[in-house]
Amino acid sequence: MPKMKMEDYLIEKKLPFFWCAGCGDGIVLSSILKSFANLGYDRKNTVVVTGIGCWGKADDYINTHTFHGTHGRALAFATGIKLANPKLNVIVLMGDGDGATIGGNHLIHAARRNVDITAILVNNFNYGMTGGQYSGTTPEESYTITSRYGHIEPSFDLCNLVEAAGAPYVARGSVYHVVQLQKFIEEGLQKKGFSFIEVISTCPTHFGRLNGMKKAPDIMRWIKDNSVSIAAAEKLSPEELEKKFVLGKFADRDIPDYSTKYQAIIDKCTAKAAKGGVTIER
Amino acid sequence: MKGSNKVRFMQGNEAMAEGAFAAGARFYAGYPITPSSEIAEISARRLPQLGGVYVQMEDELGSMAAIIGASAAGKKSFTATSGPGFSLMQENLGVAVMAEVPCVIINVQRSGPSTGLATKPAQGDFMQSRWGTHGDHGIIVISPSTVEDCYYLMIKAFNFSEKYRTPVVFLADEIIGHLQERVVINDIDPEDIVTRELPSCDPEDYKPFEIGESGIAPLAYYGSEYIVRLTSSTHDESGYSNSKPENADKFIRHYTDKIEKNKKDITIVRKYNLEDADYAIITFGCTTRSALEAVEILKAEGKKVGILQLVTLWPFADDEVLEVCNQVKGVVVPELNLGQLIREVERVNKKNIPIVGVNKVNSLSIHPNEIIDKIREVEKCQR
Amino acid sequence: MKDKYQIVLSGVGGQGLIACGSLVAEAAIIYEDKYATLTSSYGVETRGTFTKSDIIISGKEIFYPEVIKEDIVLSLAQVAYDRYIDKIDSDAILIYDSSLVTQIKDSKAKQYGFPFTDLARELGNITVANVIALGAIIKMSGILSQESVLNAIKDKYEEKPKVMELNTKALEKGLEIAAII
Repeated sequence: MPKMKMEDYLIEKKLPFFWCAGCGDGIVLSSILKSFANLGYDRKNTVVVTGIGCWGKADDYINTHTFHGTHGRALAFATGIKLANPKLNVIVLMGDGDGATIGGNHLIHAARRNVDITAILVNNFNYGMTGGQYSGTTPEESYTITSRYGHIEPSFDLCNLVEAAGAPYVARGSVYHVVQLQKFIEEGLQKKGFSFIEVISTCPTHFGRLNGMKKAPDIMRWIKDNSVSIAAAEKLSPEELEKKFVLGKFADRDIPDYSTKYQAIIDKCTAKAAKGGVTIER
Repeated sequence: MKGSNKVRFMQGNEAMAEGAFAAGARFYAGYPITPSSEIAEISARRLPQLGGVYVQMEDELGSMAAIIGASAAGKKSFTATSGPGFSLMQENLGVAVMAEVPCVIINVQRSGPSTGLATKPAQGDFMQSRWGTHGDHGIIVISPSTVEDCYYLMIKAFNFSEKYRTPVVFLADEIIGHLQERVVINDIDPEDIVTRELPSCDPEDYKPFEIGESGIAPLAYYGSEYIVRLTSSTHDESGYSNSKPENADKFIRHYTDKIEKNKKDITIVRKYNLEDADYAIITFGCTTRSALEAVEILKAEGKKVGILQLVTLWPFADDEVLEVCNQVKGVVVPELNLGQLIREVERVNKKNIPIVGVNKVNSLSIHPNEIIDKIREVEKCQR
Repeated sequence: MKDKYQIVLSGVGGQGLIACGSLVAEAAIIYEDKYATLTSSYGVETRGTFTKSDIIISGKEIFYPEVIKEDIVLSLAQVAYDRYIDKIDSDAILIYDSSLVTQIKDSKAKQYGFPFTDLARELGNITVANVIALGAIIKMSGILSQESVLNAIKDKYEEKPKVMELNTKALEKGLEIAAII
């Protein structure tokens, strides 16, 4: 196989990105495409599934098979794709509003069901595309266009949620820590089973603007300053951990994936059918 | 003796599932709901025997999404539900319209609105099946009135879906879904099974929404040599988002036109006793059976009453209904709702003959006598 | 013999009325080349509430699948008996389970009580009361041959020999206790 480059997966004629200056989406996209290249992905055997939101526009720039679905449902579309053809590489790109708020039910069930999909959720703490309203990951006490007096809802810790739901691979990276991020993405892509990578990202236009971080470097610094490793986090008190981003790998375990288990059922049933044991059920 | 002549005693829901398998369906995603659950149960048992896949999703939004995904990956796919679940499927049903992905959605109608009466029949989703998802679109809706229909019309439903790259709603009802009766299952000629047109161009030139000679864009599947870009957003021929007014106009019209312009091919109606009928009953689904019984009784009285049964509900059979309205002195429209089909009949009734509904929403079927009473009422309009 | 029979099997959920109805219809269709329909009316609950199955057997295609005029009614519960006893015509017959239906009323129709549940208990399983009743119906009405129903039982339970044997015995018991009318 010829050595692949990131550009082989990028639709250059669609550049420049439609994302705002300082948005983290481009960083995540390039990490993903570099990972595709490093793993030598055949773009004809790869399907990228997106939801709705700023990050959901990523498929516009990706030169594989794509499916751009509805808000929150990307994982459900991807489940059908993967189960129908388990040989495909299926990658799902979701935002926090998309994947963890309106689509939260699909997220926990996809993790539990353990379909061999890699889900990359970019968390910028608000709904960017619709103007910066709060989502299920907006930090408590922060400000958004719909929490002008300070947000009163607690937020999800998505990695804990997905790990508890049973996913074999769970990691959190950030757009500041790009080397680590790419490592997580490559590991997730190679993991057999449901892999979940949360990426802490920037939205200077909305979340940043309302929380005193109007400029991209401000919000990058905020991520850098508040990120801790899992090992470091273990030494911190719950109070100290509040509003910190714990980065690292939360789960990396081997669990038989759905298609493998289902194929065993098919093999059993078709063997029986071949022996003439199956007729139309009455 | 059993099975040798292929005469079977089957339930409607079972026949729908077996019809789907005979049509080549190899993927089912669904969420259990009365009175459609037997379809899920049979699919769970039968699909792995056929090398196919059954998956029970977390809800009907996910079910609808999964069948679209699976179809795009090359497996003929279907789901089954009832009112509450059908409502939940509407958003993603629109994705199947917009991305032009073939799939079949079975709705075994039950009494609504909302949770309603889960085990009782209704035909209250006639309009929802046409207009349930938002935005302008065309859709094909097929409705069975016998268990044999559940089998053979299901094959037609899949064929239409594949031929026109469109979702097809199979609008059954609790009576037909749970009815068990005699069916004759014949082998299906492989030539009678339609599978979507695949592209034949150079892979580099392939555009998943480029309308071909047939009026439909050939659809490649994920994993093939042809890169397929499918999207719920308004898009150009290549599948890229496109917000140009002329592009939106072209594709939104296409979704309706590809169905409406092929009405002749898609419309299936059945005519009983209509040749010299003075009055007609226009029906669909379970009420057809009540009408047939009523016509038998009226025949014994020497009355000439015929039936126009709409098997294809949408696109609406304007021509066939108009023909009947032009022929008879009056029409009775029995339906298990408060008047949905009758609105369409009234719309095409250019001669303004009397049209009377038999509308029932008390969870019971329409008794043949209720139709006979209305025929007498229409007769009186003439005097 | 009539061209069309309309039969109601009534009782409460869990008594196996639908299973019993499908035996009748299957026997008629598969083994006597007739038309038959079976519809059931039941509540949301699996057990306990009023349930009925309508079976129509005919030499011709059947349109309306619900019973319009009863020829035979089986009532395996008081609630079911009460629902039909005043309703049915003089040319119909009503067969009830005298183990469970204890308040008997006068009726236009002929009625016959048999202790189906007690007899089923003697066979070792009260769930076959329905099949004993079926045997009685077949014998009294002659709507189907005994062989057809026995064959339908064999088909239904071909993978469960013990259940097949029990149901066969139950049918024979029903044929034995009733007389041709």
